[in-house]
Amino acid sequence: METVLTVDRLGKSFKDTRIIRDISFHVKKGEIMAILGPNGAGKTTTIRSIMGIMYPDEGSVEFHNHTSKEIPRHKIGYLPEERGLYKNVKVMDILLYFAELKDYPLKKAKQRALEYLKKFGLEGKDQVSIEELSKGMGQKVQFIASIIHEPELLILDEPFSGLDPVSQEVFKDEIKELAQNGTAILLSSHQMNLVEQLCDRLFLIHRGQKIIYGTIDEVKKEYANFKCTILGSHNREELEGMTQVQRVEQNDNVSTLYLAQNVHIPTWLKQLPDNLEIQELRIDRVSLHEIFVDIATGKNLMEEGGISSDAE
Amino acid sequence: MRNSMKVAKWEYKRNMKNKSFIISLFLTPLLFLVFFNLPLLFDNDEAEEAGPQIHIYDELGVWSELKNQLPEEQTENWQEIDAFKSEEEIIQELENEENTAYIMLTEDVLKSGSVHVYMSKDLNENAVFQANILEHPLLAQKLADMGLTSEQAQIAASGITFEPVTPESASQTQASENEGQSQEELLERVVPVAFAGVILFSILITGMMIFQSASQEKKEKVAEIVLSSLTPEELMQGKIYGYFALGITQVAAWMVLILPFLAWRVDIPFLEYLLVPELFLLIFIAIAGYLLFASIFVSIGATVEDMNSTSNFQGMLFMLPFLPAIFIGPIMSDPSGIIAQVGTYFPITTPGVLLVRLAMLEEWPWIEIIIAIAILIVSIWVFMKLAGKIFKTGILMYGKDATPKEIWKWIRQ
Repeated sequence: METVLTVDRLGKSFKDTRIIRDISFHVKKGEIMAILGPNGAGKTTTIRSIMGIMYPDEGSVEFHNHTSKEIPRHKIGYLPEERGLYKNVKVMDILLYFAELKDYPLKKAKQRALEYLKKFGLEGKDQVSIEELSKGMGQKVQFIASIIHEPELLILDEPFSGLDPVSQEVFKDEIKELAQNGTAILLSSHQMNLVEQLCDRLFLIHRGQKIIYGTIDEVKKEYANFKCTILGSHNREELEGMTQVQRVEQNDNVSTLYLAQNVHIPTWLKQLPDNLEIQELRIDRVSLHEIFVDIATGKNLMEEGGISSDAE
Repeated sequence: MRNSMKVAKWEYKRNMKNKSFIISLFLTPLLFLVFFNLPLLFDNDEAEEAGPQIHIYDELGVWSELKNQLPEEQTENWQEIDAFKSEEEIIQELENEENTAYIMLTEDVLKSGSVHVYMSKDLNENAVFQANILEHPLLAQKLADMGLTSEQAQIAASGITFEPVTPESASQTQASENEGQSQEELLERVVPVAFAGVILFSILITGMMIFQSASQEKKEKVAEIVLSSLTPEELMQGKIYGYFALGITQVAAWMVLILPFLAWRVDIPFLEYLLVPELFLLIFIAIAGYLLFASIFVSIGATVEDMNSTSNFQGMLFMLPFLPAIFIGPIMSDPSGIIAQVGTYFPITTPGVLLVRLAMLEEWPWIEIIIAIAILIVSIWVFMKLAGKIFKTGILMYGKDATPKEIWKWIRQ
């Protein structure tokens, strides 16, 4: 698939603080790429640097279909994290204004706007003033504004924040559909579960640096090791003494055994001690959510998972 | 430029659809008309009612002579009576009358040197001054009675006045010997300047809306979405153009409503005075003034999220357009003086001071004007650059207002 956007060794400092360092990734046509990270990790700074709203100190941003040095603003749709709309104007007026700014034909824009309003359950609201809309409706209008001109590249900064679950689903479906139709999508989020369901690839950023970069499957395979959760009362030393167990966490009568990366589950199961009390046993992978929380809270689960984290 | 125009169009349309703007657009000139008319109406009433009926008994023949010399408006409420009335008779009559006065000119008056003006109760004491026109003729009559010829008496009665003469005023009086003509010339100068002044004032008021607009953009967090389509400079320029158009619309509304009224009400050939080549220069100065202040307002607006939390610093900048008011007094008294010149060359005050001076001065100081305009143009360029820098950073700073220190840092970036 053809690459639409390449970000190369991006860096930015405010005063003496480095906000982001050495950020490199690319976004391809028709794929959904996620930038993940806790609050203050540098997601918005990265996105603003791509949009030319901030100027990075180092590194480069390249839009592949466009030869000129200028950012091809007309081909990009952007939903910023800090977003709002003019209060005392009509929904249709503002959508057409944004379309006009992107040089998109107004007649087509009007038609698309009506279609999307209908799709998002806002049918008949086109002549309503923005201030009469609820916050969720406002977000939907903003989303429509960012895609009204059929962008090649869609950049969404925290698109799901502040949405109820139903609206989240609507947005998710729409984003998937756009990707299927060939739009390259870059989104940022701190909701791991949504990213896991939606994205093809992810870039995990913490304190301005890359932690993980790859497809969801790769990331899962590589970083999300197996863990074995057993219900029953156990001796901690006994569990720690088993092969290929890296770490044990005990909580009442639930023990969680974090297993080494190259563990072979059937073999490992066979060597469970005969006297082990098992009321329930579950083998699954460490979820992306756990990886994310551990990174955000500074626990070094990653290191035990075989990654040399340089987040410190 | 194309993008700026889109923004300008949007800002224009957005405001023209705004009810409160439309209302103020028409309400301001209407209010002006109302307040302009009130005193006129009031004046008219007073002229009709207040002219007291003055009955004069003229034994001396002073009035009949004076009457021929005075314009009719001044004498129409005077009425000569043939029969002498005693004080008691007059007072008795006045008990039942309103708005009436009696003056008895008898030989006694010349001797005593005082004239009794008998007035009905409702008359103001100031009505006595109406009788002042009789002072000179009576004095002359008195002198004539003492043996002077009537010419001598006239001269002696006219008294002596003191008039200040400086080298400047001497040359001025020479230049304009005829009083009426000089007043006409003054009007000829003032009308186009006043027009330019109205333009400047009106677009400045609209310019203050730029402040609000930029601040709103920041508060409502639309800026970042808009900036994904154009550059901050384009957004800023678009706003400046858009509000300029709004200002001009306002001036047009003023003109359409007020000019016909003035033409009807006031007896001055406005259009003739207005449509002179100088008008272009004056309008140019007004527009330059707008651009200067618009760049200041748009950049401060970008640093302020909430009008109420505006710090003293921003508030002070807001007062800048009114700075020329400080200079008005000294300029009025000496339009070519040192203060007037300083005001002309200080970019913030240039438009206002220059307009006032050009209205006052008969001979335009072209060299000063050219220097001032050059300074103004350079200042606009510098202010726009600075405004661009402040706007760019300020508009995307959320949650707090910028301090002067921060703004200084952005400027140096």
